[in-house]
Amino acid sequence: MVAGSTEDPSLLTSEIQSDHEPREALFVKRTIRSGQNVQYPGHVTIVGDVNPGAEVVASGDIIIWGKLRGTVHAGAQGDDTAMVCALLLEPTQLRIGNHIARSPEGGERDSNIPEIAHVDKRGIVVEPWNMIKQ
Amino acid sequence: MTARVITITSGKGGVGKTTGVANLGVSLALEGKRVVVLDADIGLRNLDVVMGLENRIVYDIVDVVEGNCRLQQALIRDKRVPQLYLLPAAQTRDKTAVSPDQMVDLCQELRHDRDIVLIDSPAGIEQGFRNAIAGADETVIITTPDVAAVRDADRIIGLIEAAEKGTPKLIVNRIKPKMVRRGDMLSTEDVIEILAIELLGVIPEDEKIIVSTNKGVPVTLDGQSRSGLAFRNIAKRILGEDVPFMIIDQEPSLLDRAMRLVGRR
Ligand SMILES: Nc1ncnc2c1ncn2[C@@H]1O[C@H](COP(=O)(O)OP(=O)(O)OP(=O)(O)O)[C@@H](O)[C@H]1O
Ligand SMILES: [Mg+2]
Repeated sequence: MVAGSTEDPSLLTSEIQSDHEPREALFVKRTIRSGQNVQYPGHVTIVGDVNPGAEVVASGDIIIWGKLRGTVHAGAQGDDTAMVCALLLEPTQLRIGNHIARSPEGGERDSNIPEIAHVDKRGIVVEPWNMIKQ
Repeated sequence: MTARVITITSGKGGVGKTTGVANLGVSLALEGKRVVVLDADIGLRNLDVVMGLENRIVYDIVDVVEGNCRLQQALIRDKRVPQLYLLPAAQTRDKTAVSPDQMVDLCQELRHDRDIVLIDSPAGIEQGFRNAIAGADETVIITTPDVAAVRDADRIIGLIEAAEKGTPKLIVNRIKPKMVRRGDMLSTEDVIEILAIELLGVIPEDEKIIVSTNKGVPVTLDGQSRSGLAFRNIAKRILGEDVPFMIIDQEPSLLDRAMRLVGRR
């Protein structure tokens, strides 16, 4: 895949992207409501909530600056290294690559900390953002 | 002067659209506005029954659209309040009897010499709903505080935004304060948290509404009920007045809490 910009990537950008295949990202600034979906062959950033009944599918990472209560699928083309993060991570269903996780029944965990979901040996795990070791 | 056309819709059925249109129509007329309430639920007409005007119907919306009568002939005046008219739906036809374009034209015609046109939308997301919002300047979502109704409301808000009708405002209907306090019912705050739109008002669960629906006398007309007051307040907010919200489903009062502590509840 090619990077989105036609200009020379600055030193900084190329450094940040150096450990990843460069991929384009879609930026969406609104609430995704029930019955709506966002699909994109790359990363997706949403500023707004993803409500129950809404769906976001990306071949890369999914970053939600808002509440995630709908269904998301990151790494949708089979990329288990993709991640999902949200200010409030309470998805109806969360998929990364070929893994599926559901919210625990009736489970409002009431976490006030933004969280990140990713895949490790155990499958999909969710951790507070500040516990992730890079 | 040209009227504001406001559609009340919900997605889910039976949550209080018709009750809302009837009572807000009365309330707005009591505020001195010239009001038309339009029943866009063709095939399942109800608004006339709830308003107690069924026996005066001669022509209906389909007659107007098909040119069988003039608009003025189809409008039924509610004699209990100044300047309130009903344009009834047809009962023997279905949603396809009217097109969205015809609704736009009809709303244009209704605008003249009035202040507010309120449209009662059918449930669902199909043509009946499309018709109901086609001619609207503004929309109001009514929902009950349960997960399914809120989900449908969210879907409808998305469709209204996609149709470039702006962002709707919200009425939460049938709140039961005791259940909210026990945590057995979504609170108004819970609903707003999901839908993220502006609140117009909250209507409590009220037996008087059921009685009044059956009598054909909108609850706002008969004096001092809490639900009637809530509708009057919403009408004022629609007209731009800054009316404080009634305290219906807030945190338990100090007394409540004290009672619980001594185990009396
Ligand atoms: N706040 C309330 N308290 C008690 N009963 C209510 C309240 N609001 C509505 N109801 C009752 O709920 C029922 C459904 O209300 P209504 O007909 O207004 O809903 P609707 O959304 O128009 O339904 P439909 O989708 O079938 O058109 C009626 O019997 C009505 O009396
Ligand atoms: Mg109705």
